[in-house]
Amino acid sequence: MNLIETDKLTKRYGSKLALDGVSLELKPGRPVALVGPNGAGKTTLMSLLCGYIRQDSGEMRILGHTPGHAALLGKVSALPQDALLDPNFTVIEQLGFFARLQGFGPKDAQHEALRVLELVDLKDSAKSKPGALSHGMAKRVAIAQSLIGTPKLVLLDEPTAGLDPANARAIRDLIASTSGDTTFMISSHNLEELERLCDTVLYLDKGKLSQSLSLSSLDAKRSVAEAHLTLSLHSEARADLQPRLSSLPGVTHVKAQASGREFILSYAPKPTGHDTYELELALFRLLAQEGISYRQVLNGKSLEDKLFS
Amino acid sequence: MNSQTITQGAPQALHHTWLIARQEVIKGFFNRRGIIALLAFVLVWGLILFYPIKQAASYLADPAIREGLASLSAVASPRKLLSWEIPELALFWVISLYWFPLFAILSSADQFATDKSRKTFRFLVQRTGREPLFFGRVLGQMLLQSSYILVAGAATLLLILFRDPALIPAALRDCVLVLLNLFIVITPYIALMAVLSLYASSARQATMLAVLVWCVISIVSALLGYYQPTLPSLDWLLPGSQIDLLVDNTPSGALIHAPLPVVQSAVLLLAGLFYMKRIAL
Repeated sequence: MNLIETDKLTKRYGSKLALDGVSLELKPGRPVALVGPNGAGKTTLMSLLCGYIRQDSGEMRILGHTPGHAALLGKVSALPQDALLDPNFTVIEQLGFFARLQGFGPKDAQHEALRVLELVDLKDSAKSKPGALSHGMAKRVAIAQSLIGTPKLVLLDEPTAGLDPANARAIRDLIASTSGDTTFMISSHNLEELERLCDTVLYLDKGKLSQSLSLSSLDAKRSVAEAHLTLSLHSEARADLQPRLSSLPGVTHVKAQASGREFILSYAPKPTGHDTYELELALFRLLAQEGISYRQVLNGKSLEDKLFS
Repeated sequence: MNSQTITQGAPQALHHTWLIARQEVIKGFFNRRGIIALLAFVLVWGLILFYPIKQAASYLADPAIREGLASLSAVASPRKLLSWEIPELALFWVISLYWFPLFAILSSADQFATDKSRKTFRFLVQRTGREPLFFGRVLGQMLLQSSYILVAGAATLLLILFRDPALIPAALRDCVLVLLNLFIVITPYIALMAVLSLYASSARQATMLAVLVWCVISIVSALLGYYQPTLPSLDWLLPGSQIDLLVDNTPSGALIHAPLPVVQSAVLLLAGLFYMKRIAL
């Protein structure tokens, strides 16, 4: 059964078309990234899937049910963008209340609330009221509430926006470790983060689903006509580096970017079993000969380059 | 378009309604705003009980004064009210008929508004349907308002006990009917504020909308009455339109007017539920 299925999903806000006939099918599994520029319709799509708003036309199903259906209660949860907890209750009171609504008994609800707070390292703030939390802490509490119970799908709208790097990393680790039973759909502008976490990338632009990429299979790379290596340097390269990269075995094209600090090498991959790393070895020999310090060699293109080049 | 209405099983929906109502009552009594409202309520009712009710009741307990008041004017005299066995309850009744609706408007203006603008409901609708959310909030307000009425009624009974303990059995019997009537009277106010609070973005805006509703309907009703006197009055559309008929009445006689607020409440709650199911949260 598909996890999410939409067919010609359309939503307008007045005269503005926020979503324009979005059709997609997603299976349960590794996290799914939802990317796109501001105003592309990411939050609208998430809000529709959560049942916060109603579509103008089109169909959508989550685990075979329309969003908001009773069968989905507790199975679909979300980190809604900009939503705030009730300032009148402590964090533990609210999370406990949410757990009660999800069917936990009074004591189990408290334990569950503490469990999810521990996941985001906020057990010590359980008795704080939301007003006493920093922006980052409030975001982590909101992420914690989305993990109550055993949701099948968790929709996270900008989960690490506003978090310090250490906590952003902790949230990424948490998502990665929870991904077994739960499928996450993550909306973010942080492509590097999404690239690390996600298997599938959905690119929305002007309300339309313009691209759907799979990042999963390295083997798939070998079967395509053209593959890529991305070389990042610590400093700007000399002018003669680009032609020398072009002369490496199998390289068909070299694109310089980031003011000469990054090169994308396009090449014709060899079938599996042959001298698969010939190009990489040649590249490292060249860098060693020229005394060039590199920062990263990426097998393929970065998500940013995949989406925008 | 697919319906996004949650159709939960009845037991689960009822359980959720109760959990949400209980949370609302806890918030009403224990948060800062609730405690301030409670303190204001106790202070105002303390003053009402010790001055107008206690003082006036001591005069009205005198049969000669009652007869004198009843004979003042055959038309304007509140004959039924003066026939009440316990004057404290009669005065409590008159004051409550105007006080509690006003209090209900003010204190139930934020059933939904702030949480909607804060998007707090987004955390809840992942876990419960919109129906339990709507009815849970309304039920919570009803429980809160009922407890206020009960407290005021109990304080009045104490006042009667101190004056004449022999009156307590009769006072208890009448008090039950008075409280039941008051509960029926305030229900459509809570229902109307639920609808307005769903539309408004703050409690203050909901209160302003309530003022607007009363003004507009009253003006339209007056204009229609002037230009089309044959048409029935529209006043009955407004919660509390029967209150003037209740003032000079007996506790049991007032129940005759109960169907109007009950129907008003049912219609307003259905309208609120219809709206709740359609709004963006």
